[in-house]
Amino acid sequence: MIGIIAVMTLRQLLGRSRTILLGLLALLPILLALAYRIGSEDTDQQKWVAQVLFDGLIVTVLLPLLALVYGTAALGAEIEDGTAVYLLAKPVSRTKIIIGKLLAAWALTSVTVLVPGLVAGWIGLQGVPGHGLLVGFGIALVTGSLVYSALFVMLSVITSRALIAGLVYVFIWEGLINGLFAGTRLFSVRHYTLAVADIFVDLPRTVLDAKLGSVPAVVLMIAAIGATVWYAIRRLRRFEIGEST
Amino acid sequence: MSGGTEVLSEAEEAGATIVLRDVSRWYGNVVAVNGMSFTAGPGITGLLGPNGAGKSTVLHMLSGFLQPSAGEVTVLGEPAWGNPGLYRRLGLVPERESVYGSLTGYEFVRLNARLQGLSDADESARQAIRLVDLEDAADRSTGGYSKGMKQRIKVAAALVHDPAVLLLDEPFNGADPRQRLHMIELFRKLAAEGRTIIFSSHILEEVERLAERVLVVVGGRLAASGAFREIRRLMTDRPHTFTLRTSDDRRLAAALVGHASVVGVEFGAEGLTVRTSQLGAFALAIPTIARSCGVTLRELRPTDESLEDVFSYLVNR
Repeated sequence: MIGIIAVMTLRQLLGRSRTILLGLLALLPILLALAYRIGSEDTDQQKWVAQVLFDGLIVTVLLPLLALVYGTAALGAEIEDGTAVYLLAKPVSRTKIIIGKLLAAWALTSVTVLVPGLVAGWIGLQGVPGHGLLVGFGIALVTGSLVYSALFVMLSVITSRALIAGLVYVFIWEGLINGLFAGTRLFSVRHYTLAVADIFVDLPRTVLDAKLGSVPAVVLMIAAIGATVWYAIRRLRRFEIGEST
Repeated sequence: MSGGTEVLSEAEEAGATIVLRDVSRWYGNVVAVNGMSFTAGPGITGLLGPNGAGKSTVLHMLSGFLQPSAGEVTVLGEPAWGNPGLYRRLGLVPERESVYGSLTGYEFVRLNARLQGLSDADESARQAIRLVDLEDAADRSTGGYSKGMKQRIKVAAALVHDPAVLLLDEPFNGADPRQRLHMIELFRKLAAEGRTIIFSSHILEEVERLAERVLVVVGGRLAASGAFREIRRLMTDRPHTFTLRTSDDRRLAAALVGHASVVGVEFGAEGLTVRTSQLGAFALAIPTIARSCGVTLRELRPTDESLEDVFSYLVNR
């Protein structure tokens, strides 16, 4: 049943024009890497790939943005346009519905961010050893996608303004507050993602400086996925469709 | 069937597939449904009322999508709220016309069959599409369907698992007369096979044509319930108001005051306003009275014939 829901959701997501536009946006890292290789005089390729390409563009902007759009649309778009009733009026456990939606959002986000990210990283690292950058960021992007997707699927169940709430989280909380107050990074998916990459990257801190330790980051990631999925299921069990929605 | 705000008796609840016991639902300070009780069994029951009367709220509570703020809603002996297992025996046609636009009609119905866990989803989908007479358009994208076609594919999706109870929210929206007739025949056939069908409508003629029993909902309350003929009689026998323009309003007013069917006469800017408690007798008498006193009738117009007026009367009677 989870597979049916996930495939149906993927089909719905891929049928939206917004998905196609975001797919084009995901090509940005490749264009940036090509521009870097052709025009830049910066010779520290590993540092550029780690800090500018992966951290600066992909992990900070593209990953949360794609996860936000796909995660909130996976169930939220159906709630908004009224088609969620066909799924909810079925003898299907709410756990399976949330898991199916999460899998679809996670798969789409991962593929959309991972493929161009790895291609761009490979272009940027041409001629120098990667020291685990591609593997580390590849794994980090996939795990980061899962946490973001779980968070945004949950938001879509608890509020009709999930997109705005998600944007506030990404740009105000992660982009601003986390930079001002170090303690708040414990609740930042971006910092979990960087810390996971750091496990596999064999480069000095001047190249990749994850602010969270790897073990706490992995534990917090698992806790965040568990908590958001649990809460989304709980809210979906009590979800109401009526004049108030 | 019974209804009202009174306590339901065991006899009323016995054999009922749907039971609402003193149910209320409010949104903040707004009361959408207020202390409603009724039962319904196999057959077709119409929820009739003006827009905003609370019909959709009742249907949403019956379909388990709204939790009652007070009271109890059971369908087939089970609580409707928080009970996804109930959907094995319950079919729902929502009012909103949205369907998965990227799927064909057949894919949409088959998806519903698969989500129901049916062993032969393909054949079940084909049968349901055949029932709503949409085989020719089954392979077209639902995004290109007309309103009436969307209604029919939604009905097919709701019927694909052969439910015992079917809930329809304004099912004839957008359907042309031929489609309407076909659906009426289909619902009658399904009801004759022992299914409980509850549908909502704000159009009296739709309810008259389809429902064997009627629940009139106004302002979140059950204003009347019973067989359609009883409701129709209540509506016909209520006091009616007419505005008359004549060659001599005063003379006609003097003549009308003494007639048994007339309960009140008033002069106004628009002419003479006459209230009658016996519509039939008044309709027969008015030409005779006018002729006998030498008054020419230029216009005779009912002024309280809107459905809202009829419903208001039923609530306040």
